[in-house]
Amino acid sequence: MNKHYDIIIAGGGVIGASCAYQLSKRHNLKIALIDCKRPGNATRASAGGLWAIGESVGLGCGVIFFRMMSSRNKREANGAAVVVDSSTPHILPECFFDFALQSNALYPQLHQELIERHGMDFKFERTGLKYIIQDEEDQLYAEHIVKQIPHLADQVRWLDRDALRASEPAVTLKANGALEFLCDHQVSPFRLGDAYMEAARQNGVDLYPNVNITGVLHEGSRIKGVRTAEAGEFHCGTLINAAGAWAAELSEWATGESIPVKPVKGQIVLTERLPKLLDGCITTSDCYMAQKDNGEILIGSTTEEKGFDVSNTFPEISGLVQGAIRCVPQLAQVNLKRTWAGLRPGSPDELPILGPVDNVQGYFNACGHFRTGILTSAITGVLLDKVVHNEALPLDITPFLASRFREGVDKQLAHG
Amino acid sequence: MSLRPVIVGGGSAGMGAAIELAEHGVDCLLFDEASRPGGVVYRGPLRAGVDLGYLGPRYTKALTKLHEDFAACAERIDLRLNHRVVGGDDQRLMVLDADEQLHEIDYSHLLLAAGCHERNVPFPGWTLPGVILLGGLQLQIKSGVVKPLGSTLIAGTGPLLPLVACQLHAAGAKVAGVYEACSFNRIAKESLALMNKPQLFLDGLSMLAYMKLNGIPMHYGWGVVGATGDGELQEVQVAPYTQDWQPDMTRVQREHVRTLAVGYGFIPRTQLSQQLGLAHGFSEDGYLRAECNVWQQSSQPNIHLAGDMAGIRGGEAAMLTGRIAAVSMLQQMGKLDAEQAIERRERFLGKLAAIKRFRSGVERYTARGAAQIQLPQADTVICRCENVTREQIDLALEQGVEDMASLKMRTRVSMGDCQGRMCVGYCSDRLRSATGRKDVGWLRPRFPVDPIPFSAFEQLGTEA
Repeated sequence: MNKHYDIIIAGGGVIGASCAYQLSKRHNLKIALIDCKRPGNATRASAGGLWAIGESVGLGCGVIFFRMMSSRNKREANGAAVVVDSSTPHILPECFFDFALQSNALYPQLHQELIERHGMDFKFERTGLKYIIQDEEDQLYAEHIVKQIPHLADQVRWLDRDALRASEPAVTLKANGALEFLCDHQVSPFRLGDAYMEAARQNGVDLYPNVNITGVLHEGSRIKGVRTAEAGEFHCGTLINAAGAWAAELSEWATGESIPVKPVKGQIVLTERLPKLLDGCITTSDCYMAQKDNGEILIGSTTEEKGFDVSNTFPEISGLVQGAIRCVPQLAQVNLKRTWAGLRPGSPDELPILGPVDNVQGYFNACGHFRTGILTSAITGVLLDKVVHNEALPLDITPFLASRFREGVDKQLAHG
Repeated sequence: MSLRPVIVGGGSAGMGAAIELAEHGVDCLLFDEASRPGGVVYRGPLRAGVDLGYLGPRYTKALTKLHEDFAACAERIDLRLNHRVVGGDDQRLMVLDADEQLHEIDYSHLLLAAGCHERNVPFPGWTLPGVILLGGLQLQIKSGVVKPLGSTLIAGTGPLLPLVACQLHAAGAKVAGVYEACSFNRIAKESLALMNKPQLFLDGLSMLAYMKLNGIPMHYGWGVVGATGDGELQEVQVAPYTQDWQPDMTRVQREHVRTLAVGYGFIPRTQLSQQLGLAHGFSEDGYLRAECNVWQQSSQPNIHLAGDMAGIRGGEAAMLTGRIAAVSMLQQMGKLDAEQAIERRERFLGKLAAIKRFRSGVERYTARGAAQIQLPQADTVICRCENVTREQIDLALEQGVEDMASLKMRTRVSMGDCQGRMCVGYCSDRLRSATGRKDVGWLRPRFPVDPIPFSAFEQLGTEA
């Protein structure tokens, strides 16, 4: 027996769930969300930072990524054994700032809406994000960041040594100060995913958990549906690819072309529950720290290209632990409760892959969100809802289309 | 890389394996988290000068024999007490030493013999001080040599109930009564299977005779339905159970006691076997356990399992499976040829067979009734670490949650310090009952298995 839907969303992480929620609000479409639990689900492994500016300037989750890139680039340029240079910030393009900031601005309203209409609280907390300056290099890095984002001057604040001490007494006395991003806050990441999902269910979306998609059905250049291992065939008018780190395979099945989405592993460390130790979210050149609503401090995160491996490796965990103790010395006395790893859906230019693709009807991408899927899930849901309904978009989707990679290839070929 | 076999757990399985290896001239490295070897069954008192006569002559003899055999092999066994194995992968274990420093221990041959934990069964009042698990209480009179306050009521199912009642009484504690959830008829039907293990059966008879003699009432087909008290336990409510353990709430009786010991059996520890990536399956009782073959070999040829980790069978069987695992390792290391190994294995398997027949009889009559999961009220706490109540689990199930990972995300069950050891049994029962599926997933244990201080990484960091 076949099932018929207007829309099938492949992937029940925070992106797929947000798309399901936004599309379900109109009550005009029959929607199914198909998900299978695979080790490494990034929504469950996230820190839940809404660090719109922080992530756009290479802090937060990006710090270690940036350091890795920077050391690799330098090594390639100058040979091996070059110290990591953190003097040049890794700033994402303007279009990403808009995307991230617009998404960030949706959260207060979204938080209220999901509580009031659906009884789901994803624990939105206004925290700010402080980049703690522990040495000369950090200072230079912070100054570069501020220079690069003059248009966001009102969202940035310098804290000198005394001001930092007053607001974050647990931070090491050795810190020289901090650069604070005022609009960067946090949520509980898995509660956010669950809130979208349960709201979508209440709005009539059919959920198919623990179902694996094994193929895509076509009718000419149109998508006709998907094949699954556990629940037979599903027919649909539109397929949305929100398959996270597994999106490349689904794209291949749907469009005949792969998209450059690769799993990027991140390991995370969690403390036991603690009394309030951190006033806001913290990022350093070693790691980030976010004390969650229940008192646990989440410390992340590594950036590793290890395929779909999600094991925890002890040198990396130790690195995060040492980095955290360096900034908040009291942590040496607390217990580490748990570690885990998630797979970010990484794209080569760190921008998500959204919207339609050429020559295939009834297929949309909502993937490649790399390290900012929690933050940008809100705007992604809104965008996909409007794309499906062919309505005006709140921002230009062109830089996020999958075709940008094709153009890149064409250009390379032309220049080659 | 340690070329010596590494054994995790110094209970009867780990000790049996270490002795077998030593008898064939092979050294081993043995980790145990306690300050004395023996595991929960044979650890003995933690302080000197205690006469364990109250535990019965059979137990005392077995305890003495095991420790003597072990001591005779001491030269070949590198015994690391107060060491906790908190994680690992296919090449190494992460071990926290007595000074709370973390070490990587590479292994070539590994034996996992980390035992089991008790099944928690939530009911209204189960988190009150004074309500404890039966195995924990037994450990207190065996190793801590601490007696419970006032009068103790024992409830649950299985042969551990009358045993602990006798041991408690002999130790000088007052036992108000034993409530066995299964009806007497059901137990009597299994007596043929029990006959295959005469020693245990006779013990069973003499235990019941001891109870009768000392005025400890034994109630069949009755179970606990609630516990109440102001800040600590004062009263236990019991009621007759139907065949599937549905209590008759019109016939509730109240017992005034200071201690309630609840025993509904055990669940193998799988935290390490899961982290090491071994193949697992589900038991009849619904718990997860690592799979092993007749050589006690896991899905990884160089990793063996012994004792309750490979399925709950108790201390004597653990010693035998430890021996078999050691024989398999000896063969892998070229110390025994195939013929010698099989001959030795068969001898242990023969002894194991009688225990297995006894256990399967016990398992049939102690099979938990399906109505047990209805005991908690809406506001009864299920996950003690995260304070998750039954109604939160009900809501998640109504919202379509179908597997353990989703239940965890939706309600926070198992996200606390114990990583779900307390609530996994109930949550798995509820999910299986709601979905009708046998496999609803299990909790994926993370490094570290128990919380460890951040300062434990100091030395590891300098090595990296």
